[in-house]
Amino acid sequence: MKNYDKLLNDLAPQKFGKAGVIWTSSLIVIIIIGLIAYIDQIRKGLVVTNLNDYALWGIYISNFVFFVATSFVASVTVAVLRLTNNSWRTPIVRIAEIIAVACIIMAGLTIMIDMGRPDRLLNLFIYGRMQSPIIWDVIIIPTFMIISLLLLYFPLLPDLAILKTHFKEKNPTLSKWYGRLSLNWTGNPKQTKIQLKSIKIVALLILITGIILQTIDAWLFSTLFRVGWDSTNMGAYFVSGAAVAGLGALVTVVYVLRRAYKLENYITNIHFDKLGKFLALACLVYLYFNINEYLIPEFTSKKEEISHLNLLIDGQFAPLFWLVIIGGLIIPTIILLFKKGRTPFSIFVVGLLVVIGSWWKRYLIVTPTLLHPFLPIQGVPKSWQHYFPSWHEWIITIATLAMALLIITILVRFLPIIPIEKTANEQELLNKNTNS
Amino acid sequence: MDQKENNSRRNFLDKGLKIGLATAIGSIGFSKLAEALTTQTAKDSTDKMQLMTTNGTLVEVDTSEVVEMINGQAEHIMYNVREGIPNRKFVMVIDLAKCKNALKCQESCNKNHFITGDNPWLKVHKMQADDDTAPYWMPTTCMHCDHPACVSVCPVGATFKRKDGLVLIDNERCIGCRFCMAACPYSTRVFNWSEPDQGDITMDMHMHGEEHYSPEYAGLPSVKGTVDKCDFCPHLIKENELPHCVTACPNGTFYFGDKYEDTVTNGDETLRLSKLLTDRAGFRLMDDLGTRPSVYYLPPVNRLVDFKEGLKNFSEYKTDKKPE
Amino acid sequence: MKNQLSIIRTSFLVLLSVFMVTMSFAQKVKKNKVRLSVSYTKIMDGELYFDIKATSKIKNKNTFIPNLDLTIYNVLNDEEIKIGKITTNMDGKGRLVLPKLDSIHADSTNTYTILVKFKGNASFKKAKKSINFKNANIKASIIKKDSINFIQATLIETSLNMPLSEATLNVQVQRLFKSLKIGKDFYTTDENGTILVSIPTDIPGIDGILTFEVVLADSDNYGTVKAMVTAPLGTQIVQDNDFYKREMWSPRDKTPLFLLIFPNLLTFAVWGIIIYLILNLIKLSKLNN
Repeated sequence: MKNYDKLLNDLAPQKFGKAGVIWTSSLIVIIIIGLIAYIDQIRKGLVVTNLNDYALWGIYISNFVFFVATSFVASVTVAVLRLTNNSWRTPIVRIAEIIAVACIIMAGLTIMIDMGRPDRLLNLFIYGRMQSPIIWDVIIIPTFMIISLLLLYFPLLPDLAILKTHFKEKNPTLSKWYGRLSLNWTGNPKQTKIQLKSIKIVALLILITGIILQTIDAWLFSTLFRVGWDSTNMGAYFVSGAAVAGLGALVTVVYVLRRAYKLENYITNIHFDKLGKFLALACLVYLYFNINEYLIPEFTSKKEEISHLNLLIDGQFAPLFWLVIIGGLIIPTIILLFKKGRTPFSIFVVGLLVVIGSWWKRYLIVTPTLLHPFLPIQGVPKSWQHYFPSWHEWIITIATLAMALLIITILVRFLPIIPIEKTANEQELLNKNTNS
Repeated sequence: MDQKENNSRRNFLDKGLKIGLATAIGSIGFSKLAEALTTQTAKDSTDKMQLMTTNGTLVEVDTSEVVEMINGQAEHIMYNVREGIPNRKFVMVIDLAKCKNALKCQESCNKNHFITGDNPWLKVHKMQADDDTAPYWMPTTCMHCDHPACVSVCPVGATFKRKDGLVLIDNERCIGCRFCMAACPYSTRVFNWSEPDQGDITMDMHMHGEEHYSPEYAGLPSVKGTVDKCDFCPHLIKENELPHCVTACPNGTFYFGDKYEDTVTNGDETLRLSKLLTDRAGFRLMDDLGTRPSVYYLPPVNRLVDFKEGLKNFSEYKTDKKPE
Repeated sequence: MKNQLSIIRTSFLVLLSVFMVTMSFAQKVKKNKVRLSVSYTKIMDGELYFDIKATSKIKNKNTFIPNLDLTIYNVLNDEEIKIGKITTNMDGKGRLVLPKLDSIHADSTNTYTILVKFKGNASFKKAKKSINFKNANIKASIIKKDSINFIQATLIETSLNMPLSEATLNVQVQRLFKSLKIGKDFYTTDENGTILVSIPTDIPGIDGILTFEVVLADSDNYGTVKAMVTAPLGTQIVQDNDFYKREMWSPRDKTPLFLLIFPNLLTFAVWGIIIYLILNLIKLSKLNN
């Protein structure tokens, strides 16, 4: 048995400090307020939202798309970095896996918030038709959820065994749970062989299903006639956008956890530099698809396309559009292209910009398209020409975001943020190499 | 030919049975779970009835799936709600030259379907493609497309396409995802955002002889959290009566009929559909989308009324009041 | 009339409440006048019927009156013979059907007189309406001349057995809601009381079967007389069979095959691997030494 004392001291789950308690309890308070708002919504119907027969989808849907996109983080970091043999991934993969689990769970929950009849949820299984992209979503989301849980779980096994011994005296109950969850892990060659093989398979699976999930999400829109959605670009556009959202969320969370748990020795500036480059690449790819999406229709200038684009470029959504494109995509890319821009704090700020930009970007994908249908909006209240979320929508949406953060917080509280066993192995290898 | 007819009838019964028992195999992945659940729901409506088919065999069908229609002189025909009235294909022709935005159609539709929300199912649009082109009034109903985008995307088959051309909604199955509304290029679908303010709808149901909810009478009642739209009034068609908008229009703008019979009528005059469409250059709305609507339009040429006359009934927006 | 049709339903509600009120304050309420209208229709080789409509001017609006009990009499030499009773429906309409004309009697001038009476009730004054008509027959048949099909119809005044000339007849084919006129709007009978109308060859019907109607419509003397001929002279209806195909908009038992095969293959493959991985977990828990 290796000596994990130093590592355990740094990396073993710790009880919440004062800040942690305040953070967690405020999240819980926000979630409770959101729950109350949701119960009110169930009671009164979706009338509590500012949705209408034209703006028939709003932030519930864009928030859902955001969660789905962010859950792509596991595919893009864990799987891609593993397949490309980037060994610097070790200290950040678990965080990525945790974010993915939290986001895909929340994606599943938020889509239900948008339903007019959540009480008829079972109809999806009783009467489901394969022709509907929603059914594809109903299949892929639970699938991706299971896979992301497995992706989190397999590499955790050795760490759980270590924690079992670590907490034996300090906290027997906790230790018992770690023991149970570790599935009698001893680290013998047979177990290790199966585990490594399984990790390889699950990594491949998360990449494939991740791309499928993002594409289906894109098809929810591109299978419809509406201008702004009816685009063959959508699938690739969503996959690349998801990489941006996922990496943005990752760098932000990594920075916060590094500060909160003082992990500077494990997550170094080099890691941020690498992540920064990776994010820059994702942003550039996404920018490329954005140019496809917005510039090419401008060229042919079809009447409906132009009215859609005008809404974004100099119409009612222009301020938001340019904030998202410039603030959430172009400026981050430029910052990240410079070495000085890839310091941890700078990357944290960029990550925040990218995440906020990504969230609003989904709003801009959903809402403006709905506000200019093919036939003119007539004979309905004037307010139906616009859409901005109501208080209920904001409160519920913020609560879902809080719930995602709460899931991350809880997982971080009980699981080692950085893989202990793997780090130990790598250090050992490093020491061997330097000694010899 | 007889053979073919028989086949299609057998087919019709076959399908009816399948739907009636709801054991359809959709996605195989779901079917096991679905079956387990359907047997449970089937218990709720175990009433089965025997139906004599046109070629003399008896079949057993779930009562909730069967409706009756009067055909000609008091001859009653039973058919499946999800299949539609046999040997019919309903179409509408809207003569834009006659519409002067009198809005009687909308009034009648609202009243007879108990539409109390902000968004009527039947609208008269003020259309003008460009400043340089002439304005005209264009009533829009549900287009009852032959290739309905809304039906394609419905995850639960709550909205469905019938053999007789109608696209209807089962408000007792709809989950309120609004995907169909997003899919419809004609923006014809309306959502019940809150509990519909229809008053004592059960009394209205009794008045219309409807004991239970039926997709064949949209709006009776409207259901909170589900989608509504124009249903082409099958509750009237099966009584040999024309839809409300057709009879309400003072100008005879709406023609309705059976495409197979090649005949449409606005109540006053009865015309050959094909001849009408040829002579008057009939077209369909956004036909290039491939939706194949059942509603045809006659262009607003040789207008009977001045466009401006309709302006007095027109308001760009309705008053904006939403129940708190 | 369209206006009236559209307001029947609310008027019924209004009336219900009117009835309620009048139950208790009958004498205080001013009773409304009922207007009855009666029309007579005879189907050749079939029944005959009287269509009765009850309307009233309420608040300056013509309203159809439902639920009125009406009695119908055959008037013969000042004697009123009761032949039936009806109650008006929701649309203020009622129909009395008689199987044969023999069940009523004509006077010495071969004129039939029918009287419809309303006794009056709490909210409406009593009313009556009578109509007179004579009996006429239309004999219609299909004849073929030079391989063209014609409808030949003859209008005959029955009591004198005389053909009626210069009468206008409509020739039409039965359709779902309203019959479709064939050729001209109307045809005038010649001195033999006969018309000859060529039948177009392109009228669609179920199995090609068409029912033609020759109608003497609303004549002052003879009411409406309708003769029907059914013949397989139409074109076959070609039904749209998309309903039975596997299409994107089909119900789930007719999902397009590619949508059943590929997504299910993918789903099963992925879930197969997931199950394999879960089995691996179980295997792991048993390999602890």
